[in-house]
Amino acid sequence: MRVFSGQVPWLLQRLTALFLIAALLVIFIALLFGVLPDYASWRAFVTSSHGATIVFVSYLAVCTHAWIGVRDVLLDYVKPLPLRLLLLMAISVLLAATAIRLLLVLGAALFV
Amino acid sequence: MHLRIYRYDPDSGSAPTMQDYTVEPEAGDRKLLDLLVRVKSVDDSLSFRRSCREGICGSDGMNINGRNGLACLTPIDGLAEPVTIRPLPGLPVVRDLIVDMTQFFTHYSAIKPYLIEKGPPPERERLQTPVDREKLDGLYECILCACCSTFCPSFWWNPDKFLGPAALLQAYRFIVDSRDGATAERLDYLDDVYRLFRCRSIMNCTEVCPKGLSPSHAIEQIRQALLSRSL
Repeated sequence: MRVFSGQVPWLLQRLTALFLIAALLVIFIALLFGVLPDYASWRAFVTSSHGATIVFVSYLAVCTHAWIGVRDVLLDYVKPLPLRLLLLMAISVLLAATAIRLLLVLGAALFV
Repeated sequence: MHLRIYRYDPDSGSAPTMQDYTVEPEAGDRKLLDLLVRVKSVDDSLSFRRSCREGICGSDGMNINGRNGLACLTPIDGLAEPVTIRPLPGLPVVRDLIVDMTQFFTHYSAIKPYLIEKGPPPERERLQTPVDREKLDGLYECILCACCSTFCPSFWWNPDKFLGPAALLQAYRFIVDSRDGATAERLDYLDDVYRLFRCRSIMNCTEVCPKGLSPSHAIEQIRQALLSRSL
């Protein structure tokens, strides 16, 4: 596969979509069957090492999926290259900042 | 019947207009092309391409009531009036219903629409099993009328970079051909951000193909071929 392959982003978007569908299904089933019935049990799950890892990996999947989606829209609609690069950079920084913020929050909850 | 036809002559400097015509179908008139020929006999300044008048040459592709199709295959019966006829969208207009197909054919030549040798040429013809031959069904019938590509939003957005459904269907026709020896090179060429992967599976191409082909299926098959190769 090449660096500027069209296949890699296409495949990543589909794999992250499948992962997120599975994650949403698990959350839906957990809510439906009362596996985690209240706030305290959800908090305990999210602040466990396994829960924090699952939440963070899911968020990375959201970021990857969103970035590729936004990139596709920009490739179609924003023709001037400098503006397109600026917008791609802005969305990258925004998504990275939210991911780092989540990592810090999860880390703080995990090690308190 | 009431026809409303797009008129434009770039050399005149005037803006495009829609001109109304009323024409009565005569005995034997079955398709929209018959009516256009009648209009042409009254107003010879109206320009459109046509040749075989039976869906083989692909020259009379146009936008009929908002949908691309061949005038020679569009039955008069059932057409909502006024029948609004415009040139194929997304390509520069040469005059009236005639569009400049240069971009379309540039993409077609880019996919190398011919068999590329695997090795030394055989003494007689290149043999192919019936099973391998069947794989070309639904692909070789494309008449390059451009109805699919010019009805594809991805092609409207990036007409210079996205190859469009017609060229991609033709690309798959050679990728899947057992006699072709350049499958890897063809897949390499298509594995690009724009050429193949601007397709969003909108499937307008399959919806409007006057020959009943499915370019979107061919595009999916190319993606699968790329995936199989990577794995």
